[in-house]
Amino acid sequence: MIDATLIPWILAGVPLLGAALSPALWTHPHRLMAWSVGVCAVSLACVVGFAGFLTTPPEGLLLLFLLPLTAGVSLLGQPHHRDHRASWVLTLIFLSLGLGALTSQPVIGKLFLMVIHGFVIVLLYRHHTPLWPISWWGLGAYTLGALCLLLTLVAAPPLSSMAALLACTILLPLVPFHDGHLTALTRLPGNLPSFMVLLFPALGLHSLAPLAATLPEPVVWTMSFLALAGTVYGAIKALAQSRVRLLLAYSSLSFFSMLWWCVVTTRSATPRAALFVGAVGLVMCGLLVAWQIIRTRYGDDVDPQAISGLASTMPQYAVLLSLLALAAMGLPPFGVFAGFMGLLLSSTAAFSAGIVVLVCAWLAASWYILALVQGLLFGARRTDLRHADLLQTELVSLIILVLTLLALGVVPISLFGPDRTTLPASANSQPAGIDSGSLVWNR
Amino acid sequence: MEPINPLIDIESRRMELRGVVQLAGEVIAQYWPMRTFVHHNPLHSLEYLPFEETARRGKQFMGGHSYLPGTLYREYLKTGRIEAAHLDAALKPLVQDQSVTIGSRRIPHGDVLRACLTDGLCAPATEPLDDQLHDPAQAVIDVVAASLSSEWGFPDLLKRIHLIVEGDQAALGRWLTLSHWCDDTFGTQIVQQINHELIKWCEAFLDEGHATWPMPGREKGLYHAWKDLAAQEWSPCGIADSRRKIAQLPDYPEDALLRSLDTLGIPSNLRQDYLSLQLTALPGWAGFIKWRAEERDYPWQKAYPVGLVKFLAIRLWYASELVQKTCREELGIEGRYDAVVAYMRQHPDEYYLRRQRVAGRLPALYAEEVDRLRHHKGNGWGRVIERYGTDVVPRQEIAARRSAAKRLVALARSLELDPAVLAETPHATLKQLFDWMESFPESDHGPVWLKALEAAYQQRLLAQLRTAPPQRIVPPDQPGTSRPYSQSVYCIDVRSEPFRRHLESTGPHETYGFAGFFAAFIRYRAWGKEHDTEQFPVIMRAKNEVREIPRSYLDHKVSKHKSRTKWVHAGHTLLHDLKENVVTPYVMVESLGWFYGLPIFGKTLLPSLYQRWTSWLRRLFVPAIATTLTVDKMAPAETAEMLAAEHHAIVRKVLHEHGGLRSSRITPALVEALRQHALNGQTELEPALVEPAQLAGLSTDTLRLLVDILRRQYDLTARAASRQKERITRTGFTVEEQTLTVDTALRMMGLTDNLARLVLICAHGSTSENNPYESALDCGACGGNAGNPNARVLAMMANNQKVRERLAKNKLVIPSDTHFLAGQVDTTTDEVQLFDLEDVPPTHRADLARLQEDLKEASTLTSQERCTRFPEVEQPLDEGAAESHVRKRSVDWSQVRPEWGLSSNTAFVIGRRELTKGLNLDGRVFLQSYDAAQDPSGRLLEVLLTGPQVVAQWINMEHYFSAVDNDVYGSGSKIYHNVVGRIGIMSGPWSDLRLGLARQTVMNGDVPYHEPMRLLSIVEAPRERIDKLIERHEILRHYYHNEWVHLVALDPDDQVWYRYRPTGEWVRIDGAL
Repeated sequence: MIDATLIPWILAGVPLLGAALSPALWTHPHRLMAWSVGVCAVSLACVVGFAGFLTTPPEGLLLLFLLPLTAGVSLLGQPHHRDHRASWVLTLIFLSLGLGALTSQPVIGKLFLMVIHGFVIVLLYRHHTPLWPISWWGLGAYTLGALCLLLTLVAAPPLSSMAALLACTILLPLVPFHDGHLTALTRLPGNLPSFMVLLFPALGLHSLAPLAATLPEPVVWTMSFLALAGTVYGAIKALAQSRVRLLLAYSSLSFFSMLWWCVVTTRSATPRAALFVGAVGLVMCGLLVAWQIIRTRYGDDVDPQAISGLASTMPQYAVLLSLLALAAMGLPPFGVFAGFMGLLLSSTAAFSAGIVVLVCAWLAASWYILALVQGLLFGARRTDLRHADLLQTELVSLIILVLTLLALGVVPISLFGPDRTTLPASANSQPAGIDSGSLVWNR
Repeated sequence: MEPINPLIDIESRRMELRGVVQLAGEVIAQYWPMRTFVHHNPLHSLEYLPFEETARRGKQFMGGHSYLPGTLYREYLKTGRIEAAHLDAALKPLVQDQSVTIGSRRIPHGDVLRACLTDGLCAPATEPLDDQLHDPAQAVIDVVAASLSSEWGFPDLLKRIHLIVEGDQAALGRWLTLSHWCDDTFGTQIVQQINHELIKWCEAFLDEGHATWPMPGREKGLYHAWKDLAAQEWSPCGIADSRRKIAQLPDYPEDALLRSLDTLGIPSNLRQDYLSLQLTALPGWAGFIKWRAEERDYPWQKAYPVGLVKFLAIRLWYASELVQKTCREELGIEGRYDAVVAYMRQHPDEYYLRRQRVAGRLPALYAEEVDRLRHHKGNGWGRVIERYGTDVVPRQEIAARRSAAKRLVALARSLELDPAVLAETPHATLKQLFDWMESFPESDHGPVWLKALEAAYQQRLLAQLRTAPPQRIVPPDQPGTSRPYSQSVYCIDVRSEPFRRHLESTGPHETYGFAGFFAAFIRYRAWGKEHDTEQFPVIMRAKNEVREIPRSYLDHKVSKHKSRTKWVHAGHTLLHDLKENVVTPYVMVESLGWFYGLPIFGKTLLPSLYQRWTSWLRRLFVPAIATTLTVDKMAPAETAEMLAAEHHAIVRKVLHEHGGLRSSRITPALVEALRQHALNGQTELEPALVEPAQLAGLSTDTLRLLVDILRRQYDLTARAASRQKERITRTGFTVEEQTLTVDTALRMMGLTDNLARLVLICAHGSTSENNPYESALDCGACGGNAGNPNARVLAMMANNQKVRERLAKNKLVIPSDTHFLAGQVDTTTDEVQLFDLEDVPPTHRADLARLQEDLKEASTLTSQERCTRFPEVEQPLDEGAAESHVRKRSVDWSQVRPEWGLSSNTAFVIGRRELTKGLNLDGRVFLQSYDAAQDPSGRLLEVLLTGPQVVAQWINMEHYFSAVDNDVYGSGSKIYHNVVGRIGIMSGPWSDLRLGLARQTVMNGDVPYHEPMRLLSIVEAPRERIDKLIERHEILRHYYHNEWVHLVALDPDDQVWYRYRPTGEWVRIDGAL
């Protein structure tokens, strides 16, 4: 038998080893890509293989499975171009750090998180442009996140708890600490945004899960308010965007804010929450990959308004993008719908203003996502553009995403961990953490 | 100096403006109402220009393409429809005597141009800035791109901006309106907003009884009706204070239009073009208004006058308001021509960035920056353009070089060269090759392709026509005599060709082609109908009216027929009213809704059976009644008698309904006295009226009331009676007119001797369900109506003994045993219906039976041939199946191609049938019978070239333009068609009135079913005679010299074929064209 304490190191070591060996294939982008995807597949196999030996966290193991999968599909959606080699290797490194953070003991996990922050800060700094001054705010947010993580290691409660919560708001974006999320999704190179859109929220939820039950009432109220504000703010900003990555960044902010509201009002981060994070992260990853496919053909900074009428020229792409859009709009039978319904049904508030806000934001998402897809797929077809339908790797990437989203919508949630919302009411009436949490926050 | 009278000055300005509007309207074609669909050239008004120039104008004003896309022509080349030799011949005028050497191979200029054509190397392509798609030839492309860099002079950004500003400045007012300029610069949607408003108002105003609630105030005309209603709208298109502004508009539309033009500051020299652009924004509605304004006697025009000036006055008001608003909000300048030009000159960088942003040509980061500057009215434009110059322009330069290299590699492959050889080719040679490609853009390929396509078809057709007669399959003569079984005359329409061919194949039948109105210009009213139809080409006018009346021996059945028809009509009206009422539909859906299930299921699942069943039901309730036509003109006494009879009927009705008298008490004396009194206009009651009235029990007051009703309500006055008399005198033809009509028709078609015992005058009509285009399937020469009235008229005239006697005096002898018979072929079912069979002499029964049998066989064969064209019919059908299939199509309400016979027309043959007899012309050729020997003066040929040829050219051009650009010149897919105002169709609920033919009519999937080619006229006549006519008629010069129509002649003098060149010379055709 393998020692359980070694498993996190094995899980983190596989992709890290892959990254370490990748320079050998540096001059052959095709092989490097294949290697990186292969490493992700092996990582996924390791996760599946070792899942039974891991201590199940409150949010379940779903996100752990999804991380290598998302890394793989985000890589498959990339063109085989030498400019992207660094981002492929970085994907493996982030995967390694992410798996480490999710499976390790809290202290080591925080160290992993700090390294992730460090990498992101460096990357954002390198890809800063004067035309996008807001990226300074993003850099600032991640620096704050790193400092908060440091504080959680060195400071005593309640400062450490405050810092931990603040670090969560940066990873699982919440207004007004969302600039890091926006900057990461718009400025990171290559396929990293499509991987980070799941990685960060997954890490955020994992960090939030032990804190959720311990939140005192004033903090709950404050966080609820911020969550609702973020939901509305994200939806409104997404409606006003003309750039796809920014639209998706605000859209995901709106969705993750919904999650925040549900988690803080129920004071629990259950596998249902993980399902929601996973589904939203995956669907955003899919849409970012779909947009990357356009960028591959028409340039990195192509204006989406310049592209239309792809339904007739790229039919495969059109079908898969439409399915992803349906999933993103929260329609059944995809995972976002299942996650959203799971959250609403487990919410303690049968009917409240919060739920109305959530539903409105959900409807707004239908509006702007449909507008985006409609603009790309329909309208006048530009005859001066060359049209090439999906390459095999791109096709596989999008199909895996759609099928996974479909699976998330239909597979029982209990598969990924015990669902506490289904426990007897007596067991749930007095969350175990309340006392200890109160102690933690009041010590 | 005498002071200028301001009123005269205003009036002269108005007149001048009306003239400008008329000229501006030249670019749009008239649009006839759908019920009399007339095929016409959508660029008809520009036929005075060469075809290629008109194509350019069409692009400029309408945005329409005049040639097929290169991909389709290339497909024709692959399938052999276009031959390489013809392509080379068409390309020859463009080829320069130059060449370059690549490797060891010499590449002439012509080869490069040919490669551009055949491989589509010059299609406009935008190379993305940072393309990352893998290309197997990337290495070569990189080398060639690098090689080009030494020769490549990518234009400087500032120069490019300067050129764009200069170009837009030149375009403004000429082919770019200020509204359009705003849309392109600020991303507004002014043109769309204005179009929506105009569609709304035109749809409401021009409605001809379709709308349940008509627009109020239409009698005041479009402009005033709009003013009244629009002034009550709340801020249309976001125009602030619109109510006050509309209320303050001048009373005259001319003044309003002038004011708007002044507000926009359009220079006087640009006004015509500017107004043309405004009209072409909605060519359908504007075209219909243009047609209506010219039809002053059109009842709807008389009731609700409309004209282009009124239309433009409204349009320009919206335009000026929205342009002002946008320019002030965006730039803080006046929305005037001069202010806009000044802005472009003074802020070229800002203008460039804005335009690029709206066109989607800026990288996303820059697009966002432009948006930010626009919203915050920032001054950072210079900074952005500077960064753009250093950041984006070099990438653009690389992309452009890569694009050029890709094209050169493609050229090398097309020329069967190894692309690697380009890497070793001198830079100057590569540049030369690229320049040759650049100088022959895809937009210039259309004329070359078209000429090659036409040449290939024409060569095949002429080769067919030149086939020696023994090689053709021609039926033998009737045994023992040279007299044919029958002679029949069909419309020149291309759909007649297969039927004629098949009829001739059944036995010794002779067929002739003649314009389907058969020289009978009549206005016709069918029995039981309330409206006349105009049975003649729309470019002509009728003098005579013909009515269909029941045959005299059926008088006893007429009243029964009438009353039953009235019941049916009342039932229809009741249902319609119940459906259209505000309240009743709520109840009706519940109570009667289920009843509609029967027709829905019947029409959908069993269309043939349902049609037979409903026809049987209809016949059962209202049996058909045998009729005849009022062909003979009435004598004055008969006219007076007929008028009196009509009046008596009215008076009897009034006495019964308003006087309360029973029929038994209404005496003829009372009726006549009352009629006379109403007509003479006297106020005092005469004793001759009072006496019979008293006998009937009517008081003098009642009598006065009845007289008043007769005059006011029933218009029984002397003036009205005079009008009626005049109308009745127009009914029918005098013997002289009949003689002239028959003489002209028979001589023109060359049917002057050896007449058969039966001569069939066969018109054509059609049957289709749920088809707004049904009149497009009918006879164009009969004004979009079925042609049976014309056929009956000509047959009746030719059977008239007095006419025959007079014809004999003109040396046109019709044998006494020759009987003229009228018929009509249904082009959707191919069935022939014969009329007036009561008049066929008993001696001709056997002839008639044989003819009917042969017509039936011809009909079946035609159906079989037609079925092979339908895409969904994959296997050839046997006779019964073909018959059943075409019948089913004709009654299928979901069928988008009930007939599909007129498409694919290409040529017009004016000559003897011997020229085409026995040839399968695939139903693509108009056939006009003409014997030059019978027309030494050329008078008949003159009529044919200026009449039927014009109709054929209109049909041909309608199909041509609908096929090359169905979105602009056609009417798009039938699936989205909605009938509007009973005048035309729109796509969806809100669009321009759609011009032209539906996509399904001219296209088979993505491939044209109608191969778009210009008409080829083939005339069998002496060249000198044709020359004289061309010299005499401007329209012929336009056709042949401007290359709208190709002309080929077979000179009977030397039996040689000649082609007429646009330069006016004849060139002998020996072998290839």
